[in-house]
Amino acid sequence: MPKLNSLDGGSRFNFMLALIAYLERSGEVTTATAAQHFNLDEKYLREVVFSINQLSVEFPGREEIFFFIDADLADEGILSLTQNDLIQDVPRLSSRQAAAIGAGLNYLATMPAFADDAELKSLQELMSQGSGRGSAPAITVAPGTEAQYAEVLREALLAGRRISCEYLNAKGEQTIREIDPLRIDVRPDGTYLRGYCLVNAALRNFKLDRMRNIKISELPISAEAKSVGEIEDSLYVSQANDIEVTVELEPEAYGLIAEFQTVEEPTSAGEGAIRAVIKVGHLPNIAKLISRYRGKARVIEPKEARELVKNYALKVLGESAHSNQTEVE
Amino acid sequence: MAKIRTTWQPYKTDKSERLLQLTTALLFAERGLTKRELYYSITEYRADVADKKSEPSLNRKFERDKSDLRDSGILVQISNPQDAPEEQRYVITSDSFVWPAKTSLSPHQLQLLNLASQAWSMASLSSEVNQGLIKLRSLGLQPAEADLVGLAPKFKTHEPAFMPLNKAIDERYEVTFNYRRQDEQVKPRRVQPWQLQNISGQWLLVCFDVDKKEVRNFLLKRIVSKVTAVQLDHELINFEAPDATELQSAIEDLATHTAKQVATIKVNKDSSAWFHFHLDEKQDTELNFEYMDLNLLAEELSVFALDIKVLSPRELDEAIRAGFEKVASDHA
Repeated sequence: MPKLNSLDGGSRFNFMLALIAYLERSGEVTTATAAQHFNLDEKYLREVVFSINQLSVEFPGREEIFFFIDADLADEGILSLTQNDLIQDVPRLSSRQAAAIGAGLNYLATMPAFADDAELKSLQELMSQGSGRGSAPAITVAPGTEAQYAEVLREALLAGRRISCEYLNAKGEQTIREIDPLRIDVRPDGTYLRGYCLVNAALRNFKLDRMRNIKISELPISAEAKSVGEIEDSLYVSQANDIEVTVELEPEAYGLIAEFQTVEEPTSAGEGAIRAVIKVGHLPNIAKLISRYRGKARVIEPKEARELVKNYALKVLGESAHSNQTEVE
Repeated sequence: MAKIRTTWQPYKTDKSERLLQLTTALLFAERGLTKRELYYSITEYRADVADKKSEPSLNRKFERDKSDLRDSGILVQISNPQDAPEEQRYVITSDSFVWPAKTSLSPHQLQLLNLASQAWSMASLSSEVNQGLIKLRSLGLQPAEADLVGLAPKFKTHEPAFMPLNKAIDERYEVTFNYRRQDEQVKPRRVQPWQLQNISGQWLLVCFDVDKKEVRNFLLKRIVSKVTAVQLDHELINFEAPDATELQSAIEDLATHTAKQVATIKVNKDSSAWFHFHLDEKQDTELNFEYMDLNLLAEELSVFALDIKVLSPRELDEAIRAGFEKVASDHA
């Protein structure tokens, strides 16, 4: 995760309270340790320390100063809270914060990997108290059925081993792949293995529902895989020959944007519809993507993409018209 | 060296410093502070008074700040609501402010919290979740353990209705929106929102429909207007939170409904659908699904239209076909 180097007003305030509580609990710590703990840039942390030291409140006839983090020591890279009469412990979460984090924890708890995790259970209890809603959480997320198939990938990942599998790519070609697993993303649209592909010699995304016959090899993952570094959340891999496609989407099809890199912010196209320009690597893929929304998504241009969508739809209709005679193998 | 204190510069500070002043002032004054006292004590409020800003605009700023504090988990209350407004004292009680004593987190728990929070990294609650995580981190003094989990759940919320509904659930007020039914008709709905559920990647609102007087489920993706708060004389209409049994029975009703609806398809061997449904393990070309909503299933199966054949129900086959007819004519 990249270090944060700025926060908006609300988040900055939130961090100030958390920092005071942390220093109260931890005693003297180095600035580096604190920055690491909160995943913040050290320079930014020093600015926040300065702000906290500046705080005072005027009451009639007197000025109250509540906190002081030793400024001399801070210059030497050590944080020591020498005055704090007010904040003895960590502030609670808001009910919304607790509900959202709780939904994430409850989701983790449904995964086989965490079935017997007592520490997770106690966290879930803490969040449900924190949300103030008892047994009726504001948000729940049920897992898909795919998590069970991800276990073999997880095993390989934790063991640091290479895998091999049969892979059906987006063009419908079936190949044998060797992959060094780096991360597994469990998303609403499916589970993705983010890994170093030995064929392409690069980081690639593999959809679990296109893999089969997954085997964990004896080989450890390669040095190249280990040097990949930070993996972005976005699955989009930019290619020189990407084609820009303009689409119009009704609310039912907004999800399509989430799967693609949009060229700029979508614009309104009236009546809740939006217009967006997305980048597509392999243009024929657009046909399935658009038609799954069953008329709530349309290609505006280029013409070539419109043709692809139309021809695909006609092909399906033709097939299904004869489906009584077509034997499925 | 003595404490360095420079002159307070109200116009250069950002909101964070005003909120911290407000919080500390209210925690410090155990009996609470009246508005007049707060408008004296908080530098930026005092500057506004000196600048002859109007009382209503100052009040609005105070209300916004209270709402920001609330979003952050800090409840500003009035200790003597029966008194005249100018006598009312605002307080933050310390037990509402901090965690139960001795709450602390292990490195493993911090890692679980990181994972749970990162699930929102691509979704609309990420800023709120990060704020929560920052506070939670100060409950653990050891750094989180290295990633020994290997899985990164990721939620998504591309439905614009998600945030306003989440807020309305939290603050328990009625909302209204336009909803597109399966038959394409758009109708206004007025509801008491109870819970957001994600089932197989779809966000669903469980709520009490005020006009129909019954519990209903709505798919967020079919909400085609803004979600707005219902107001009566400029006041929100609040409702009692559902009790756990009401909510549970609503969830069970949906599960019962889903279990009753079964579709059967035939899948081409070694096709993308064959891979998708992991049929190597079953070695059977026929597949049964329980489904919540026919059109959602039609959407899911449309991707595999060339690889499957719907055996039943007939409506599913027709729905998939109608979708492709619309797509073909839209792109003609």
